[in-house]
Amino acid sequence: MNNRLYISGHCRIKDNRVELNGEPVFTQKDSNFSEFIKALYRDQQFQYSKFFKMDNLSKLGFAASEILLRSIHINVKGSEVGVVLANANSSLDTDVRYQESIKDKTNYFPSPSVFVYTLPNIVIGEICIKHKFTGENALLISETFEADQLFDHTMSLFKDGKVGSCLIGWVDYYLDDYDAALFFITRDNDKKTNFESEKIKSIYQNWS
Amino acid sequence: MSTKVLVTGLGVISSIGKNVQDTLKSIRELKSGVGQIDLLITRHRGDLPVGEIKQTDEELKETAGVSSLKALTRPTVLGMLAAREAVEDAGLIGDTEGTGFISANTVGGMGHTEQYCLDYINKEKEGDFLEYLGTHNCGDSTERIADYLNIKDYVTTINTACSSSANAIMLGARLIKNGIVKRVVAGGTDSLTRFTLNGFNTLMILAKEQCRPFDENRMGLNLGEGAGFIVLEAEEAANERGARVYSELKGYANTCDAYHQTASSPEGYGAASAMKKAIEHAGLKVEDIDYVNLHGTATQMNDLSEGNAIQNVFGDKVPDVSSTKGFTGHTLGAAGGIEAVFSNLSISENILFPNLNFTDQMNELNFSPLKVIKENAEVINVLSNSFGFGGNNTALLFSKV
Repeated sequence: MNNRLYISGHCRIKDNRVELNGEPVFTQKDSNFSEFIKALYRDQQFQYSKFFKMDNLSKLGFAASEILLRSIHINVKGSEVGVVLANANSSLDTDVRYQESIKDKTNYFPSPSVFVYTLPNIVIGEICIKHKFTGENALLISETFEADQLFDHTMSLFKDGKVGSCLIGWVDYYLDDYDAALFFITRDNDKKTNFESEKIKSIYQNWS
Repeated sequence: MSTKVLVTGLGVISSIGKNVQDTLKSIRELKSGVGQIDLLITRHRGDLPVGEIKQTDEELKETAGVSSLKALTRPTVLGMLAAREAVEDAGLIGDTEGTGFISANTVGGMGHTEQYCLDYINKEKEGDFLEYLGTHNCGDSTERIADYLNIKDYVTTINTACSSSANAIMLGARLIKNGIVKRVVAGGTDSLTRFTLNGFNTLMILAKEQCRPFDENRMGLNLGEGAGFIVLEAEEAANERGARVYSELKGYANTCDAYHQTASSPEGYGAASAMKKAIEHAGLKVEDIDYVNLHGTATQMNDLSEGNAIQNVFGDKVPDVSSTKGFTGHTLGAAGGIEAVFSNLSISENILFPNLNFTDQMNELNFSPLKVIKENAEVINVLSNSFGFGGNNTALLFSKV
């Protein structure tokens, strides 16, 4: 059995710019995240109405995963696709918004539809629901993008035979400050980019 | 990489017992820990039954020998007691080199936060209560328990709601298989708080009577509190020191329902897939399973979803199954750890646990859980199910060695 793993593709969303495998996909300068992500939705014709109910973290992760996964032919079953994401700010952006909605005693409106998103791994749930990925998943919290941690965790899923392919990466959002860097890891070597900790680190750092 | 992961120590505290022996005694006497609220300060006293441990924080601290330590939350002290028992049981007190500690926890220091939150933001107020400010996050209890046991090599916290401590055990097994540590103390701890009680009450899934898992007339769950930890050890390390072995953690699996952000799918797709994958991971067949310790919370949705999943996996040959939530209540982040201890006791004591308060089989299902306790049972392979909000499903498979 071929035990080598490869990066089939990667997508980055940061600074109002989207890149797929290092190539520009979409840019919109001088807009806030909400305007930017809406423009991206239209430009890329996501056609997924649930998108508008999502919190910012989920919109960011969903958009990056859509652009990446459209470019990839997944040849394993959804039950063999795992998702391992990491970020620094958990769901803090939505936690703050939820707190805002209940802090005023005269204008008190705790919304269950906002409350749902006060968990960081809901972004994984949204991606899994869209693509029917039912393999193992995890959301790791670390202060910065830690390539080694992502690599080790992902490798252990493959070694344990838990996944045939895995969507991994960084999806972080807090108060309009955001960054998404997703990678799709598979056993197919059509793109011939080996899955190595150093490789995802250099792809991540190569952003100007 | 291919080392076997063995279970060499057990520790538990819950409303049915302050240690493993106590717990077994209560189970054999069919004594439930679910009853009226005596300690938790809440308007629901006398209204909602819970599985409460009838010792105050101070009493628990005294038992753990930590009365002089500051800012210890209830989950921290419960965790100290259960984790220490597991380490003692494994004969590893004072020998924690190359050991990891993975603890699951969902409520963190909420018990003190809800008591002091108004004082925290009142600039006029000062006092000892400020020591609890740093205890709110879930990781605090993990760090304190690891310090208590002098574990330094790998310490982390997991929160995936009700599947948390099963996932802690799964991560522990992986750390051993990948040679990162040779032993891991893994499980979880949670205590009752008003936050949890009120939160679950607004979800309208709390029963006003003793919970009745898998019963046609089930009325919801009872919350509980406690901690459960097991010592996982690489086969070589256990053999080298001649450790007593409870079981091998032969298989495990975590799956996602991909159905809804919070609700689990009625047909139990993710639950079935977790069980199937754990059995496959262990290299076993469905008919090899002797007993399933169900998640069995006694809510309408869980039991329907899990029941359908059981039928999907086992067809018309469902093995002995039962939920032990009728004894302990649902201890949330601790449930997977406590039930991992139960599953190991099932193997070592040749005992199958009864599903308390069951009378009528569910209309949708073709099987019933065990009504009576079974002693001298031949128990080789046990599945332990833990399912979290959002369809985070984990199944652990323990096998007699």
